[in-house]
Amino acid sequence: MATATRSIPDPAALRRRGRFNPGDAILYGVTLGAALSALVLLILIAREILADAWPAMKEFGLGFLTSTTWEPTRDIYGAGAFLFGTALTSFAALLLAAPISIAIALFLTELAPRWLRGPVGALVEMLASVPSVVLGLWGILVMGPWIVEHVGPFLHRTLGWTPFFKTEPVAGPSILSAILILTIMMVPIISSICRELFLNVPRELKEGALALGATRWELVRGVIFPYARAGIAAAMILGLGRAVGEAIAVTQVIGNNEAITWNLFDPGDTLASRIASSYVGATSKMQISALVYLAVILLAFSLVVNLVARVIVQRVTARQEGRA
Amino acid sequence: MSFKRSVTAVALVAIVGVVIAVAAGARSHGTLSGAGATFPQPLIAIWQQQYKRDQINYNGIGSGGGIAAITNRTVDFGASDAPLTPDQFAACKGCVQMPWVLSATSVMYNLDGVKNAMHMNGRLIADIYMGRVTNWNDARIKRLNPGVNLPDRKITPVYRSDGSGTTYNFTDYLTSVSSAFKSRVGGPSTTVNWPTGVGARGSSGVAGVVTRTEGAVGYADIAYALNNHIKFAAVQNRSGKWATPGLRSIKAAASADKKFSSTNELSIVNPPKGKKYLRAYPISTYSYVIVPLQSGKAAQLKSFITWAVTSGQRFGPKLIFQPVPLYVVNRVKAQLKRVH
Repeated sequence: MATATRSIPDPAALRRRGRFNPGDAILYGVTLGAALSALVLLILIAREILADAWPAMKEFGLGFLTSTTWEPTRDIYGAGAFLFGTALTSFAALLLAAPISIAIALFLTELAPRWLRGPVGALVEMLASVPSVVLGLWGILVMGPWIVEHVGPFLHRTLGWTPFFKTEPVAGPSILSAILILTIMMVPIISSICRELFLNVPRELKEGALALGATRWELVRGVIFPYARAGIAAAMILGLGRAVGEAIAVTQVIGNNEAITWNLFDPGDTLASRIASSYVGATSKMQISALVYLAVILLAFSLVVNLVARVIVQRVTARQEGRA
Repeated sequence: MSFKRSVTAVALVAIVGVVIAVAAGARSHGTLSGAGATFPQPLIAIWQQQYKRDQINYNGIGSGGGIAAITNRTVDFGASDAPLTPDQFAACKGCVQMPWVLSATSVMYNLDGVKNAMHMNGRLIADIYMGRVTNWNDARIKRLNPGVNLPDRKITPVYRSDGSGTTYNFTDYLTSVSSAFKSRVGGPSTTVNWPTGVGARGSSGVAGVVTRTEGAVGYADIAYALNNHIKFAAVQNRSGKWATPGLRSIKAAASADKKFSSTNELSIVNPPKGKKYLRAYPISTYSYVIVPLQSGKAAQLKSFITWAVTSGQRFGPKLIFQPVPLYVVNRVKAQLKRVH
C-alpha cells in the first residue's frame, strides 16, 4: 500500500504542475468521503450503543461482567454466563478448527497433486459462503440428531470421565452443537489465510531445505511453520473473532440456557446469541439496556481481536519485506 | 460499454419497481397494516380474505415485534398475545389494547408408547420446568396416569428463547398454581429465566426440538400442536377434571365475567372451582390488538376491529379459536369510542 500511494502524485502536486483536472478533484472528494464515512459510522455506532447501554452500565457497573443472574422478571441482569459460553464455544471451536485448517492448507500447498489443488481449495472456500442461518438450520435438522444418536453416546462411553461428556446426550440443541457449527465456520477462514501464508514462504528456503535432504515433514516443521508462525496466529485470532461474533447460527443450535456448565451436552448461551434471541421481545427498558451492554462487550472484544490480528500481520509483513 | 449497459439495466429495474409500488399503493387506498403475534395469524389470514371494506396487511413477526412496530407507528395496529408491560405501555404513548382472539396453550410431549392426552396437573408441570421432576417414571406422574406404561427416561423441558405471548400465558398459569414457581422463576412474563431445559426460537423451534427429542415436553398454541400432530396433555383444572384444549374447554374457561384491568388485561388462566368451569381448560388465553388513540385511520380501524370481534369470530372455531364472549365484545366497542 505504501508503494502505491507513493507512485501516484497527490492532487496538490498536479495542480502546481498546471495539470489540474476537475475530474480528479471530484474523484478525490468522493473517495475521501467514502473512506471517512466508514470511520464516522463506526464512531456513531459506538456512541449510540454506549448511550443505550448507559442505564444498565450505571445500574450494574462492572459487576455485570461476573454476575451470572439474568432474570427479566426481576429486572436483574449479568453477562457472566454468556461470557463463559462465548469463551467456551469459541476456544473449543478454535481448538478443533486450527489443526484441521492448517492440515488443509498444507495439503493444498505442499502435498496435493497440482490438478487437485484448485478444486479442493475452491470447495473449502465455498464453505465460507454458506449463509450462517442455513448452517444453523442444518445444525438443527441434521447435526443435532446425529450428535444425540451417534457421536454423543460414543463420546460419553469413551470420554465420560472428563467433565465435558458427563451425561448421556438428550437433546440436539447443546454447547457441542454450537462448537461444531463454529468450527465449520472457522475452517475456511483460517485455512485460506494459512494457504496464502504457506504459498508466500520463499521458494529458495524450501528448495534449500529439500536440497539438504529434508523430508516433507522436516520441511514443514523446520521451514514453513517457523516462517508462517505469526501469520498462523493472526489467522487463528481472526477465526476466533468470527466465532465470538456469530449470532444466528449459534442461537439456533445452542439451546439458550443461562447455566454455566462444562458438560458439552447441556444447553448454554453466548453474548451474540442472547442479543439475537432476546432483543425483539424485550419487556422492559432495563432489559433492552442490558442487552445493549452485552453488545458493548462484544464490540469491545471484536475491536481488540481485530487490532491484535492487525498488529501481528503488520509485524510479519515488515519482517518479510525486510528479508526480501 | 458493458458497464454503461448494466447501469441502464439497474436503473430500469428500479423505475419499474417504483412504478409497481406506486400503482399498488394507489389501488389499495383503503389499507390497514398490522404486525405482531403469530398466534392469531391463521385467523387474521381468513379475515384478510373475508373483510371487504379495506385491505388488511398483516405481518406475523411475533408479539414483541408487533409492540415495537405500533410503538414506532410503522403499522396501523399491533397484535400481541401478552398484554403490554407498564414500560411498553408508557413507551407506546397513548395506545389502547383490547382482547380480540381467544384460544389456548397446549402442553406437548414426545414419549414413545404413551398415547395423546396423558394426565398432568399444574404443580407437576411447574416442577418439571423447575427441574424438580426429572424422569418420566417419577411416582407423581405415575399416580396421575394409572395403567400407563411410563418409561425410564429423562424429561427435557423445552421453552421459547424469544419473547413470546405463549410464554406469558404459560407462566401466567404456572405462577397461579405454584407459589414455588412464582418465587423461583417469577412471572407472568414473555421472557423468564428458566432454571433448566432447552430454549428454541418460535413455536416452530419448540415443536422442532420436542418432536426430535424423545422425552421432551414443550408448549405452543393448540392449533400448532394439532396441525403438526404432536401429542398434548390433558391438564387438571381446579374442579379436578382433566381437560384437553378445545373449543368447549376454552369456552368454559372464558365464561366468567372477569374484571378487566384498567389497561384491558383479561387473564383467564386457572379458573376457580365451580359448575360453570367444570370442563374449563386452565391454560386458555386472550390475544390482544393494540391501536393508537389518535390515528389518521381511526374510522377504518374502528370498523375493522368491530367486525373482527363480531362477524369475524365465526371463522375461528375451525382453527380452534373460540369466539370471544359478549361482554368482551361490548368492552371492545366501548374502548373503540376512545379512538379518533
